[in-house]
Amino acid sequence: MIRYRFWFLVLSALLACGTGCTTTNSDVSVKSTGDSETRVYEVFGMDCPGCHGGVEKLVKKIPAVQQAEANWREKRLVVTVRPGAELNDEDIYDAIRRANFTAGKRIK
Amino acid sequence: MRRLLLISFVAVVKFALVPASANAAGISVDAGLTPAEDRWIFRTQMRYMQRKEDPTPMDRKMSTYTFPVVLAYGLRPDLTLMLRQTVMNQETSMAGSSSRNTGLGDLFILGKYKLYRRNTPDYTFGIASTLGLELPTGADSFTSETWDLQPGLYTSWRRGPWATDFNVAYTLNGFADRGSGDINPGNELSLDWALAHQFSFGEKARVSLAPVLELSYKNISPDRLYGRDVSNTGESVLYLSPGIKFTISSFILEALIQIPAWQDQKGFQLKRGTGIIVGTRFMF
Repeated sequence: MIRYRFWFLVLSALLACGTGCTTTNSDVSVKSTGDSETRVYEVFGMDCPGCHGGVEKLVKKIPAVQQAEANWREKRLVVTVRPGAELNDEDIYDAIRRANFTAGKRIK
Repeated sequence: MRRLLLISFVAVVKFALVPASANAAGISVDAGLTPAEDRWIFRTQMRYMQRKEDPTPMDRKMSTYTFPVVLAYGLRPDLTLMLRQTVMNQETSMAGSSSRNTGLGDLFILGKYKLYRRNTPDYTFGIASTLGLELPTGADSFTSETWDLQPGLYTSWRRGPWATDFNVAYTLNGFADRGSGDINPGNELSLDWALAHQFSFGEKARVSLAPVLELSYKNISPDRLYGRDVSNTGESVLYLSPGIKFTISSFILEALIQIPAWQDQKGFQLKRGTGIIVGTRFMF
């Protein structure tokens, strides 16, 4: 009985951690402000809700990127450029490639 | 010959040693699609398996809880490394007496290499090859005592809400370290096919529920000694496994029931019963 309780607690803890971590991540929204530029790219190959994290992690490593958010169902990646910084589209395309996805056209 | 007969007898009596690799795959999703570079995947499962219906009068039974913990890392876009360590808990009973045993299973390391991937607006298709190695690091009751090599080929196809995966893996048990007087454990062939349909929810579609249906075939060749098959070893099984996968962004909760639709054991081995898999996956 103690063994079953132990594994129930472990599963509950994992569920709580996962939900908490992801809620924080998905609540971040990318909006254009007066000082920052927002770009939108087509991305093909994202096929599940968990796919966005891989490409967002790589795009956020680009110094000129302030925020990045991908939507797998709309096949879109929204990138907010850091105010005053210059962002090269090639850096975004390279991050998309390293995430094992394929970049389509830049929409905005 | 005398030794062969003795080992055959021992195989009937000492039925408890079922390493983790004897399980069919279960919840095999995204196998042909390598993850992003610098992506970590942490996965845990609880796998329950039972064996029963003893064809001998010894009334043997066995139930096993296996807890694999997997850590995978996208080293490059085309190369993923994976480590798997299992903890096992096994209860065996025979002729009215029972015993329980807990310990570590063998450590498994695996490399997955992207052979092909095509991403289009309509579909995604990927093929990946794998090479795994199981080291005899487990506790006495749960180790296979051999170095086992496992090449595999994985394919994944996605179109809209539909997803299908097909995997082939062959395990060369004891490929390097068996002398002529040792038993050569039988090799294993695994074929897994999975079909899933994803229902997504929310504005950003970061929550989804996916019913899954898996078909898993496993063939374990008989052990060999002095060029002959060891009696009471070797089996084939086909599992039909309905399941469900619940995803919240980078966190996945999955459950599967493995129903043996067909099975064939050599000699006096126990039949496989229905198995249960419950697991979590977290990507970061």
